[in-house]
Amino acid sequence: MFKKLIEKSFEKSPWLFHLNTGSCNGCDIEIVSVITPRYDAERMGFKLTGSPRHADIILVTGPITSQSRDRLIRTLAQVPDPKVVVSIGSCPRSTNVFNGSYSVEGPLDKYVPIDVSIAGCPPKPEAIIDGLAKAIEILREKRRAMK
Amino acid sequence: MVVLKYLFNVLVFPGLLFSALVGLLLSGLDRKVVARMQKRIGPPIIQPIYDFFKLLGKETIVPRAASRRTFLYAPVIGLLALVTVTLFIPIYKYTAISTVADIIVILYLLTIPAVALIMGGAASGSPYAGVGISREMVAIISYELPLVIVLLTIGKHVGMALNKGVITFSLSQIVSYQAEFGPMITNWRLIPAALALLLIIPIKVGSLPFDIAEAEIEICEGPLVEYSGAPLAIFKLNHAIKMFIMTSLFVTLFLSGKGTGILILDIVLQVLLSAVIVVISISTLKAITARLKVEQVLKFFWTYPTALALISLILVWIGR
Repeated sequence: MFKKLIEKSFEKSPWLFHLNTGSCNGCDIEIVSVITPRYDAERMGFKLTGSPRHADIILVTGPITSQSRDRLIRTLAQVPDPKVVVSIGSCPRSTNVFNGSYSVEGPLDKYVPIDVSIAGCPPKPEAIIDGLAKAIEILREKRRAMK
Repeated sequence: MVVLKYLFNVLVFPGLLFSALVGLLLSGLDRKVVARMQKRIGPPIIQPIYDFFKLLGKETIVPRAASRRTFLYAPVIGLLALVTVTLFIPIYKYTAISTVADIIVILYLLTIPAVALIMGGAASGSPYAGVGISREMVAIISYELPLVIVLLTIGKHVGMALNKGVITFSLSQIVSYQAEFGPMITNWRLIPAALALLLIIPIKVGSLPFDIAEAEIEICEGPLVEYSGAPLAIFKLNHAIKMFIMTSLFVTLFLSGKGTGILILDIVLQVLLSAVIVVISISTLKAITARLKVEQVLKFFWTYPTALALISLILVWIGR
């Protein structure tokens, strides 16, 4: 009965969880700027949550350091289905300038399939919003595929 | 027939469906108004309804450390208590259930959602939830005292006029007093009590300057940290219904009266006045303040709102 409504709601209220895996803080600042009055992603229903249990979209920043690798895997396992993984910046997709470092164990797609990858060092807020809009479509497809 | 009427009352009109819809819309209005105050566009007013249905569609995870049954039943217990409270709150002349002492029933039933939150948080076995529930207890201790004094004040005031000086605990008697003598807010003796209740509403619904228990950034929504899917949706619904109940209680206590005589118009009037109270007491405070520390909340509530409520009580007692 509510199937249509629930699908529509997935489009309208994706909650974000921000996961920093050793990022230089540049991408994190850009994520914060997406929810400021200038870009105001809340008008599309985006909300930053504090707990991975509440999240629909996980934003990963940073090349995976050895300290954060186990925490990354554990945190991703805590997110209820359907979920979408978005990598923000060049670090999670290619480990960027940290490539070859003894403490970097990236890139991210070694550990989890990435749904949307937003390039840039750091990406512009407009690019992040565009990537999130694509993530919403994937989220809806995943919800449809669930039984 | 009587059974059908009560079933209708519980499930549809003042009960579950009506209060859930109005509560979700009121919390959407709150988010929109806060956004406009911060020069943002803000989410649509029906955003909490989308949030609710989205959470229903998510997977429910029960952590290994949690005690499964308490973890899953706690939100339902809170919801049941809140739906029961909605039956007791008069909408101008209309009440689903009217008893001699419904204020006392409401006071006790309004504590149950907070206790349910504590139960659920304790059952989830997370350290963040542990911090959250201890803060929730501090919140309960801080707001109960001024709330009781406010209700006593109004009971005494109405009792002196209608009941030969004996305190009344009946909301329908309070409404009939206001129908006779005009809304309670027009009496200067009761204005401090109204201000105190306006300050109690935000902590009761857990909104920003006083949301120590569910501090999103500090302790990841405290007791809710391990919840996901449908139980989380019911907790969010509890929040919304609590917002409607508290503002509606304010309207009934201070702005009630004869009404228009037509039930539909009365309902619309009550909801509109509740929306005004949401904007005044919840949204404005949320937009202009930052979160207080735990001990600051306790200190604040045991000084200013308690003092305001006591001033009203003394004025009413020596008034006549």
